[in-house]
Amino acid sequence: MFKDTPVVREQIKKCVRCGKCRSVCPIFQVYQTENYSPSGQVFLVQMLRDGELEVSEKVAAKASDCLMCESCSSTCPSGIPVPELVAAARAYIGEQRPSAGKDLIFGKLWTNPRLLRKAVAAAGLADSLGFRNIARALGMTSILPGDLPQAEKILGKIPRASARTRIKTVSPAKGTRKTRVAYFLGCGTDLLQPKVALATVEVLNHLGCEVVVSPNLKCCGVPHLANGQKKIAEELVQHNVNILHKLGVDAVISDCASCTSTLKGHLYKDWLKVKVFDLSVFIVEVLGIPSEIRALPHPLTVTYHDPCHLVKAQKIKDQPRQLLKSIPGVELKEMAGADTCCGGSGTFGLTHYEVSMKILEAKINNIRQTEAQAVATCCPSCITQLSYGLRESGLNYPVLHPIQLLHQGLYKR
Amino acid sequence: MDRTLLIQELEKKLGQEKVISDKVDLMYYSYDSSFHARLNRFMPDVVVTPRSTEEVSEVMKLAYTHNIPVTPRGAGTGETCGSVAIQGGIVMDLSPWDTIEEVDVANMQVFVRPGVIHAKLNQRLAENGMFFPPDPGSSLMCTIGGMVANNASGLRAVKYGCTEQYILGLEVVLPNGEIIITGGMQSRAVKSVSGLNLTKLFVGSEGILGVITQIRLRVWPKPKGRGIVMAVYPSLDDAPASVLEVYKAGILPSGIEILDQSAIQAVNMYRAEINLPNAEAILLFEVDGNPASVEWEGLKIKEIASQRATQVEWATDPKRMADLWEGRSVVATAAARVRPDGSRVFAGEDISVPLSKVAETLREIRALGKKHHIKVVNYGHIGDGNVHTAPVIDPEQPQEVEAAQRLVDDIHRLAVRLGGTTTGEHGVGAVRAMYAELEHGAAVKIMRSIKQTLDPKGIMNPGKVFGPEEE
Ligand SMILES: Cc1cc2nc3c(=O)[nH]c(=O)nc-3n(C[C@H](O)[C@H](O)[C@H](O)COP(=O)(O)OP(=O)(O)OC[C@H]3O[C@@H](n4cnc5c(N)ncnc54)[C@H](O)[C@@H]3O)c2cc1C
Ligand code: SF4
Ligand code: SF4
Repeated sequence: MFKDTPVVREQIKKCVRCGKCRSVCPIFQVYQTENYSPSGQVFLVQMLRDGELEVSEKVAAKASDCLMCESCSSTCPSGIPVPELVAAARAYIGEQRPSAGKDLIFGKLWTNPRLLRKAVAAAGLADSLGFRNIARALGMTSILPGDLPQAEKILGKIPRASARTRIKTVSPAKGTRKTRVAYFLGCGTDLLQPKVALATVEVLNHLGCEVVVSPNLKCCGVPHLANGQKKIAEELVQHNVNILHKLGVDAVISDCASCTSTLKGHLYKDWLKVKVFDLSVFIVEVLGIPSEIRALPHPLTVTYHDPCHLVKAQKIKDQPRQLLKSIPGVELKEMAGADTCCGGSGTFGLTHYEVSMKILEAKINNIRQTEAQAVATCCPSCITQLSYGLRESGLNYPVLHPIQLLHQGLYKR
Repeated sequence: MDRTLLIQELEKKLGQEKVISDKVDLMYYSYDSSFHARLNRFMPDVVVTPRSTEEVSEVMKLAYTHNIPVTPRGAGTGETCGSVAIQGGIVMDLSPWDTIEEVDVANMQVFVRPGVIHAKLNQRLAENGMFFPPDPGSSLMCTIGGMVANNASGLRAVKYGCTEQYILGLEVVLPNGEIIITGGMQSRAVKSVSGLNLTKLFVGSEGILGVITQIRLRVWPKPKGRGIVMAVYPSLDDAPASVLEVYKAGILPSGIEILDQSAIQAVNMYRAEINLPNAEAILLFEVDGNPASVEWEGLKIKEIASQRATQVEWATDPKRMADLWEGRSVVATAAARVRPDGSRVFAGEDISVPLSKVAETLREIRALGKKHHIKVVNYGHIGDGNVHTAPVIDPEQPQEVEAAQRLVDDIHRLAVRLGGTTTGEHGVGAVRAMYAELEHGAAVKIMRSIKQTLDPKGIMNPGKVFGPEEE
């Protein structure tokens, strides 16, 4: 039950409404009023819990005004996990009004073809990708109605090869095997950034890892949690944990900030017994940065964007930068506000296109000022969002995962 | 006036995007950070977010004509229910109106709109080597408008005083919509004794006399040097004694902050790296100025504090200083951490007592906590006798709430009895209005008549600062 969820029972009362979270919330920065603030989200959950507010379309829309970026929770002096509370509320709303998630997606978005086209472009989803794949990429398959006639019509349905179809279940280590790891291939990387996945596997192999990519693993569950489908998220957790435990691996690695933060977070905490690593941390701290990296053919000035789910949720900030700096030819140039959100965050760009773009605009300005030639970041959702923003602003920088640059340093001549 | 009609009129004047009227959206304006707002639901009828003096004036004229209460609001970080519409009506959220109109470097002043965030102003001023010295713990979130209305101060008041010392002039929209400028209409002078001092009247007026729409602020050159002495005391009584000894040595630190044992624990639970030693009390002395004098003063304070403290650290490393200062700034909220199933509440949180009574006050507050079976965390600006008490309770347990209310009343009365005041910087709002007569006696009558002159219909932030006149 929602009301008895530990986080709802114990955390709401700890909010003293000091407003410190307002100073970091990307959504608040756009609207600047309390009805778009993290403190407001906590209050909304409280009102729902205490029955002072009933679930309605408006309430569902308010609960949806959150990127789950953890900027607030990582700064809150009381330590309140706001996104977890929002997720609990969304689950409750989903139970009370099973159509709430769909209403939001179909009511607010799919009924507005102009917005839809733009949002889909922003999400990096070519019309040709096919709606089912888009839904899969966003982890929404389960919350969408069966045949999707409306959406399919708008989007067409030609599928495209994903990373999974190009990677073997077990890729052997080059030379002596140091360790056997599971590569948690997230939906975003798989469908939207398959090149990142290929680079990840090859580099891990190069560094002595036998890499297992189980074809049976499913989405980590965070999109479902974010969209109020808690039960499905919990089923996914059990499914994935079972598989991961059977793989006989020393560690679980992912190049996706959202996946690792989910795998390390409250959903999996009590279940998953294998250690989870962000890819850059695993390379820098466990495997060691290889000494044989060659210089890039041309020097490249790179600026690094901290994904919220890495820097705020996991406090990982230095290792991706160390990785970048280890590649001869890469000059790292910091942007102002490197750790502010880009506004992407899974389905958010689809359901809240306009605010997502305002958040992105500020980010792009900061990138522009560095005069860098490329942007690096460790999250497929951020890569997609930033690429879109740069394209829209007429800037031609590539947005890469650091692993792609390392891969170049190891393999390209 | 009918609510629907009011909303229509406001939308006509301001445009739909500046009027919030959905019942769910209004709910977010039913609170500030006060305990009182946690226990009640004060729903406004409508919220407006004007972005020009004319818009504010239009709203005031409408409200004045139809007798509708108007409550100005900044970031809502106040602890007194000040920015909450306890009698309904219009909440005027000025926080989105956050333009820094002009930084007049040559004349050492800035013109800002009310919604500018304190920390952002100081960031901007730093580019010109200047700063606005008052330093509230809420710097990252509170607005300059809110600071002026509450005459806020904070961690550096001991040397730099309160907001009022820096206000050269204000633009104010009166309850009837009329616009005035205090401190000289064209003036950019940094001192003036011309006319009755209306600027001072509006500073600290808590939104009951008019809406502040522009602030002309005196700023200072930013000192080049800074350092912090952390002194650790085995006994709470020794801390205030050390403070007096530092003053006697002819040193005026820019801040002197105290954390008691529970506050220390809260800071360490917030961020373990800050790593404060466990003790009965810790004092943080901040010194600023030119680097040579900072060094001299820092070491001198270290020497003096060592007579009573068991451990003294002189920090000039920027990272360490930032950690220590952050620890102190967040303790107001982080206090909640000392009890896993509880929270701190903002009530009875701001008494200020004579310097000579600080030790006695801290002892008495501890005894009161015991009497009411409530854990109290104490911290505050000990350099000016301003003690922040955080009762940590389970706010969802009615008995604890009642006990806290009794404790808070005792604390307020204690302050007055010891020759202090119920509020050193947070203000009166709705939560301390009942002590007006106890503190000010006949002077309250004069306050009421000033209010009556400026706001004859009583529509500006009603129910705050002093209660209604007794029959
Ligand atoms: C964690 C924390 C730490 C704090 N630390 C300090 C501290 O160290 N020192 C200190 O002094 N205070 C402190 N405070 C209290 C509070 O932050 C200050 O009083 C602050 O000045 C309030 O600003 P605000 O923008 O939030 O105003 P609000 O809370 O929104 O409003 C405060 C009052 O001002 C009125 N008001 C606001 N704007 C206007 C305007 N433009 N015109 C007319 N009236 C207006 C409102 O009606 C209300 O009465 C702290 C609060 C918190 C939560
Ligand atoms: S969530 Fe945390 S930071 Fe935000 S208002 Fe509540 S206590 Fe303050
Ligand atoms: S998680 Fe991000 S978007 Fe959501 S309330 Fe917190 S800061 Fe705002």
